Amino acid sequence: MTRGAPAATGPRTVLAYVIRRLFAVVMMLLVVTLTTFVIFFVLPKWAGQDPALLFVGKQTDAASIQGIREKLGLADPVLVQFWHFVQALFVGREYSSGTDVTQCAAPCFGYSFRTEQEVWPQLTDALPVTLSLAAGACLLWVVGGVAAGVVSALRRGTIWDRAAMSIALAGVSLPIYFTGLLSLAIFSFKLGWIEGEFASFSDDPAQWFQSLLLPWITLAFLYAAMYARLTRASMLEILGEDYIRTARAKGLTERVVISKHAMRSTWTPVLTLLGLDLGALLGGAILTESTYNLPGLGRLAVDAIAQKDLPVILGVTLIAAIFICVANLLVDMLYAVIDPRVRLG
Amino acid sequence: MNPQRSSARIRQVAGAAVVVAALMTTAACGGGGDKGKDGDKSGGKGAGFNAATGDKIANPSTKAGGTLKMISKQDLDSADPQRQYYGMAWDFSRFYSRQLVTYAAKPGNASSELVPDLAKANGKISNGGKTYTYELKDGIAWEDGTPITSKDIKYGISRIWAKEAITGGPTYLKQALDPKGEYQGPYKDKTSDGPKGIETPNDKTIVFNLATPNVDFEQMLAMPAGSPVKKEKDTGAKYQLKPFSSGPYKFESYAPKKSISLVRNDKWKKETDTVRAALPDKITVTINSNMEALDKLLIKGDYDVDMNGTGLTQSGRIEALKKHKDNVDNIQTSFTRYVDMTPVAPLNNVACRKAVVYATDFKSLQEVRGGEEAGGPLATTMLPTTIKGYDDYDPYGVKARGGKPDVAKAKEQLKACNQPDGFSTKISARSNNPGEKETAEALQQSLKAVGIKAEVEVIDGAESQSITGSPKVVKERKIGLIMTGWGPDFPTGQGFSQPLIDGRFIAPTGNYNGSETNDPAINKMFDDALKATDPDKAAEFYKQINHKTADIAAQMPFLYEKNFSWRSSRLTNVYSSTAYNGRYDYASLGVVK
Amino acid sequence: MTAPLHDTSPDADKAAPADVAADVAKKSVEGRSLRQIAWTRLKRDKLALAGGIVVVFLVLVALFAPLIVSLLGHPPDEFHQDKIDPLFGVAKGLDDSMFAGVSSDFLLGVEPGNGRDVFSRIVYGARISLLVAFLAAVVAVVLGTVLGIVAGYFGGWIDSVISRVMDMLLAFPQLLFIISLVSVLPGDLLGMTGSSVRIFILVMVIGFFGWPYIGRIVRGQTLSLREKEYVEAARSLGAGRAYILFKELLPNLVAPITVYTTLMIPTNILTEAALSFLNAGVKPPTASWGQMLSKAINTYESDPLFMIAPGLAIFITVLAFNLFGDGVRDALDPKGTR
Repeated sequence: MTRGAPAATGPRTVLAYVIRRLFAVVMMLLVVTLTTFVIFFVLPKWAGQDPALLFVGKQTDAASIQGIREKLGLADPVLVQFWHFVQALFVGREYSSGTDVTQCAAPCFGYSFRTEQEVWPQLTDALPVTLSLAAGACLLWVVGGVAAGVVSALRRGTIWDRAAMSIALAGVSLPIYFTGLLSLAIFSFKLGWIEGEFASFSDDPAQWFQSLLLPWITLAFLYAAMYARLTRASMLEILGEDYIRTARAKGLTERVVISKHAMRSTWTPVLTLLGLDLGALLGGAILTESTYNLPGLGRLAVDAIAQKDLPVILGVTLIAAIFICVANLLVDMLYAVIDPRVRLG
Repeated sequence: MNPQRSSARIRQVAGAAVVVAALMTTAACGGGGDKGKDGDKSGGKGAGFNAATGDKIANPSTKAGGTLKMISKQDLDSADPQRQYYGMAWDFSRFYSRQLVTYAAKPGNASSELVPDLAKANGKISNGGKTYTYELKDGIAWEDGTPITSKDIKYGISRIWAKEAITGGPTYLKQALDPKGEYQGPYKDKTSDGPKGIETPNDKTIVFNLATPNVDFEQMLAMPAGSPVKKEKDTGAKYQLKPFSSGPYKFESYAPKKSISLVRNDKWKKETDTVRAALPDKITVTINSNMEALDKLLIKGDYDVDMNGTGLTQSGRIEALKKHKDNVDNIQTSFTRYVDMTPVAPLNNVACRKAVVYATDFKSLQEVRGGEEAGGPLATTMLPTTIKGYDDYDPYGVKARGGKPDVAKAKEQLKACNQPDGFSTKISARSNNPGEKETAEALQQSLKAVGIKAEVEVIDGAESQSITGSPKVVKERKIGLIMTGWGPDFPTGQGFSQPLIDGRFIAPTGNYNGSETNDPAINKMFDDALKATDPDKAAEFYKQINHKTADIAAQMPFLYEKNFSWRSSRLTNVYSSTAYNGRYDYASLGVVK
Repeated sequence: MTAPLHDTSPDADKAAPADVAADVAKKSVEGRSLRQIAWTRLKRDKLALAGGIVVVFLVLVALFAPLIVSLLGHPPDEFHQDKIDPLFGVAKGLDDSMFAGVSSDFLLGVEPGNGRDVFSRIVYGARISLLVAFLAAVVAVVLGTVLGIVAGYFGGWIDSVISRVMDMLLAFPQLLFIISLVSVLPGDLLGMTGSSVRIFILVMVIGFFGWPYIGRIVRGQTLSLREKEYVEAARSLGAGRAYILFKELLPNLVAPITVYTTLMIPTNILTEAALSFLNAGVKPPTASWGQMLSKAINTYESDPLFMIAPGLAIFITVLAFNLFGDGVRDALDPKGTR
């Protein structure tokens, strides 16, 4: 995001910067939502379909379709519908078709008329699953990736370096839906070590751990590769810089040089990448969740798309965009805290 | 840049290759860890292959108790009796909703018989087949203990008219009682006392006055749409979140798209109900949209039965048949798999439609769907074998050829249709319907042999009503062939064929008469069949309709669907019910504790 | 230093970004061009070369798919149901060996259900994979370069608008967005029918979400080049904006664009495969690797080969492009470290 030219820093500029960035985030969310809105409420119409039909069930008589249209306000212009949607996020909404009134409290992300359910609880139900997946995998890949990268950089050219970089190379080139199936074939089907479906942590911690173990590892394998390569590269670069040489010349032990000085600078690019990856992942690890049958946001989205459950699709897209934007913002803020060379502009 | 680095990277790649190769080898040759852990959680053994098919009952029992654990790839379309239209939902709703009459709790075709449920006896028919009168049983009660009255039944049925809120369910009763749609439904019309066609002279009597006679009227009352609803408990569209029970179980909790939990309704009295065995103490349903995972959980013994009841997936089938054959039933459903031929040119020409029939490799379509057993026997007409009026009519000699195509005849028909070199068209297939895309590809492949170029267009199942169900969109998108399947709403020719081939059922959306056939002769035969005084006379008309449909090749049926269903070792009292499209009769199931 | 307005001599200054060029000029006493240096470096990088050779091989496979298949396989859409056990839906004899379906006739076995030749479908799948990845990269490069240069050169509000659009696109939940879009678009579009529609959509959408990555780099480079002497000189000599943009700036951006294009292609291959895996790819019966993997979910336990074949195809292709891309980057990297 905006990493502009250095400028004088002060509390005022920081505040102005934050406000400017927040404004940009809000604008971005509006655009993402509007685009999704257009895809599902305008494109089908253009292709001759009626979105109201998606909500009525097997028997589609005129009265039912009319009822849905009134409730959802489908007869209004798209921008008006969009405005109602945005408004509902903050103040809730009432869907009414004369005799039948449905309340949807803020934050109202929409309402599925097929299941008579608000979208928000569906999102909050799926979020912990995605959070569990992302947190566990992230821990593994950061620890594994950074460690592998540091070892490779320090032991450049040795067998450790090569081994770590080999795995990294395989990692970035393997699609998760292939490694996922492969891991299931081996550990679940052939060896029978892992079985059963996802359970939430509060229900059954052991099952929670078991059902997430393979996804964590495969996902971490994919991401660790990038972190290892990144860490190795920036470490090598930093080790060649003057201030490290100075530190060494001052007689500091190698351990202190690495952990106090070199690592500190290595964290900057790692955290940047981490923020972006986590943001994207929290919005739904679509492929991982599909492959491993985890009921998180990604699966919710894929199922909703297949069932054309428009309010849910809209909700997940918005949540995903929020995560990405917030992650971006946090990364930029952290950037300034960690690396004094960076100024906010 | 130095050569050392390059060679280092070569070793990296070699390393990467070793990692992957190691994984592959394990996948391919890993020791069969499954061996020795065959025994599932129940510890028991299945009742035997096909133990619950035909007229057989697997593990007959009257022992009560335990929890019946169901799993399903999808949720009920609705739990509201007036809004349900999925077959599995009708089967499931037997747990908590009762009707005046219902299907007998008997295995196989005997299940199609209608027996009294809330009523003391089947309807008394008078007034030339236009009036049906029922007396209610004593002791029938809601889950709060209050008696179920004839007014509750009338109120429940009247909700069908409130289409602005009560969406989705069948409207047969509305059509039979108020074809002009004069009544506005209980929410809009708060003054009148419900539709004119229903009278409740007292709390124990209910009288229906039909606009015109309909031999299948009792079948319509047996649908969940004929269930009572207590007016004070009606929450409109949200009623489906917690329907008020008239049956042996009531809702403990319901999380749509996730889980359902039913517990015993202690106000229900066994002596008032001759149909429901009500053996388990509790019934749970878990929704899991991953069908492969679902099958694994069933086979593992975590669940007892698939509520959706459409059979095991390919991978589940392989494992179940190889290792647990005694838990599997090869069930004949009442589903016909067929292709609708739309009026998109040149399929508006009967010769071109016949060319498609002759060119189709039925055997190939059958094998893609799993062959004789997992797919089903070849079909030559639309009506399922269990419905009166079916016969083995085969005007195109499909069975005589063993399902193989007749290319010469197909080319002859193409000439007659002025398309000697073939033509281009599209086949639609629904993504959420297992095997439909693959079947469409097989059809595409066999049509190619005579020069008919068909493009497969995969659509999301949820959209089918607005795409293939809309004649306008079908025309715009030039969909000539619709790959689909159909099961009867109720087990008669009317319940199966009328929505598919009666021209007066063509609708702008949600249309099921995909061929858009509007043949006055066929329409008239439906009218005559409805006026018939008994089902056997009606069947004669359905037989003629069935032949006529085949002759004009409006639809191309190819399979009478069969599936492999899983029955856990814990299940008792299991049988396949023709009235519920071959599904197990859920209300009869019990479990070993 | 004279303004290199006449682009005839292989001058190092023109072939590379200015800072790179300055670097190289110091080091290479013989005055070789960066292109030459890069080529020498690349030739010495055995692994990048190996990757490059595999890439060339894959491109040839894709180009000559019909010929290869006619020699070694069966038409990719042809059914061979005699090879299939209909009840289990997979090749006969898989109980005894996972290679039961493999023979000299069917080099990689047969597809579950319909018995299509897996080898032929893998070969034809390469076409879709590479075609979509290349074309999408072209779309991304063209959009990214043009908009990046425009943003960097003109600055001001133009830069703001373009930068904001780039930020926005990078913040889009892309995969979600693409499957949504594909799921609502009709089968025919703008007069196109069949698989070409989906290929077109995939190319446009993947390319559209890819350009900001290139755009940012080009913008950054342009910003730094804008103030360089030779651009200033060209400007003072009265050269038109378009001339400066495309004659002076563009050649200097070739190196970074090349690097990012080669590194973008494997990403595009993975995206196409992922979309096909989620059933948002090309239409049946067109073969694609992602779709094969998606179908393999049903059968991977009884027929692991049908999962491994397309999985390996994706792995090898992506790995080859990554190696080659890495090599190109290293070769063009002036510092020669990393």
